Amino acid sequence: MIGSIPLGDVLLVSAALFSIGTAGVLLRRNAIQIFLSIELMMNAANLALIGYGAALGTHEGQVIVFFVIAIAAAEASVGLAIFVALFRHTETIDVNKINLLKW
Amino acid sequence: MTIQRLVFDAAGLIAILFGGLMVVARNAVRGVLTLVVAFFALAVCYVMLLSPFIAAVQVIVYAGAILVLFLFVLMLLNIGHMPPERSGRPMQTFLGSVGVLVFAALLLGTLRGAGAAIPATTGMDPAALADPASLSRQFFSEYLLHFEAVSVLLLAALVGAFVLARREKKP
Repeated sequence: MIGSIPLGDVLLVSAALFSIGTAGVLLRRNAIQIFLSIELMMNAANLALIGYGAALGTHEGQVIVFFVIAIAAAEASVGLAIFVALFRHTETIDVNKINLLKW
Repeated sequence: MTIQRLVFDAAGLIAILFGGLMVVARNAVRGVLTLVVAFFALAVCYVMLLSPFIAAVQVIVYAGAILVLFLFVLMLLNIGHMPPERSGRPMQTFLGSVGVLVFAALLLGTLRGAGAAIPATTGMDPAALADPASLSRQFFSEYLLHFEAVSVLLLAALVGAFVLARREKKP
């Protein structure tokens, strides 16, 4: 319990968001949308960390989430730079058409 | 049902709803904008979970900086108006859906009752937990090395993004 919020609610929201993110990664073909889904999954994990941290009464959950957000910013900048380079090279960001490493 | 729990559940439902809308969005720009709403709802969840500082960081860094970067790249490449990709692989969609359903069932089964294992009240009281001052004191004493390492990582990412996205000069 965090105040009057049961931890089960937090974990339920987190699991639902993570599953939605997984669906986006597996079903979408637009590379940017796959990337957005990964961001959503990361936020689901953050929510679970904050929930557990608050339930245990420590700051560690918030500390880890702060680092996760900082690293997500670095990841987003590098990932988008890769997409820009890829789009310049192949004129598409459809992951089915980017099969340079497939064969 | 207290007001706290009501607000948390409502914000969680909004986050789930707009997260789902992001996944089914035809247009990538619309996907980014729905995800902004989902992240704002998550910030409300963080406030309800006694983490106002993380909620502020979520709004400023995630919704403010990262998603605007996405929007910027989408506008720059002008791929918001690409024809919807139906490259006709029904098997891929089917297997993906089955995988997601199995994964969600596993996750829910694992997490059911996981909250009960936490001891009732250990640790600090809610006021100290939500206090940014005591959080930052912990940051700059116990986690100072990690903090500095992250700053180096951000610098590396800055240089990496510049090198990757640079247009190579034609000889």
